[in-house]
Amino acid sequence: MHHQLLRFLALLFIALVILQSILGGALFIVLAGWNPDDISHYYREKSLHGLIETLAPHTLFVSVALMGSLHFLGFISTITEKKKQFFIHSLFGLFVIDQSAPLLITLGIDFFSMVKLVAFISFECVLGWVWIVMFRESLRDFLSHHSSGQR
Amino acid sequence: MKFIVSKKIIDNRALYMSVLWMVIFLIVALVLNIVAKGINFGITPEMWVNTVLGNEVEFMEPLLLSDLLLSLHTDLFGLILVFILMSALHIRSSRSKELKLTILLVSVISLLLYPVGLMASLWIGSFSILLSWSGFLLFHLLMIGSALDILILLVRKRF
Repeated sequence: MHHQLLRFLALLFIALVILQSILGGALFIVLAGWNPDDISHYYREKSLHGLIETLAPHTLFVSVALMGSLHFLGFISTITEKKKQFFIHSLFGLFVIDQSAPLLITLGIDFFSMVKLVAFISFECVLGWVWIVMFRESLRDFLSHHSSGQR
Repeated sequence: MKFIVSKKIIDNRALYMSVLWMVIFLIVALVLNIVAKGINFGITPEMWVNTVLGNEVEFMEPLLLSDLLLSLHTDLFGLILVFILMSALHIRSSRSKELKLTILLVSVISLLLYPVGLMASLWIGSFSILLSWSGFLLFHLLMIGSALDILILLVRKRF
């Protein structure tokens, strides 16, 4: 019974993470559009000053939030060091690409609207994956704690 | 996440103090989040309905879809992190397994209701906003209650 409830809890949490990614994607589509031309148009209308004003708090907040999330990986023993490094490098790397692409679009390099789209979707997916790994570990901890308590 | 769920947390003074302060700040953050939402959306479900769907009688415009999505996306980001932190701590507390599972299940369901209800209001209307309001409030109250429980256990060094 407990195992089934835990599985249900994990499923609900995954639904929550997917919903968060969908909301992020929907917000991006509502603001900038879904095809590369719309994205180029959206960012070309913005001034460099406006972009930097958005970029500065994002860089600070997201780096702190990522560090806050990612440092938990250091305490998870069920995934390999390679996988942890993949999560860390890909999240920070995708964030840099995602945030710097608009600057390059305003300089007239339209190719980066496609790069922005791919980086944004990948960032949301990898972050969701990290959250699921962390939550799965908590549930495993719950099971091991109680099975050792029963012994 | 052994660093916050380890039984040795009491022995490690720096870790103990860090977790203690983190729990206090989480409680403050959750209370402030309720206050901020009360200012933005209103306190009662009717006020939420007026803010999201607008009110022609009171000349209130409905909330723009982009504003609604932005609010939900940023809110959910923070609340998922709060849920992960609280569940990691909560899971190792000395409360019964049934109680812990119930709290976690009700928390995650209420947290899901908050964005789903608000998004569904575009099609369903005011009833789903009532569900969203209930989910938001219930999640915050459960998390504040759990955090206070953990805080008491930490202070009594029974964690």
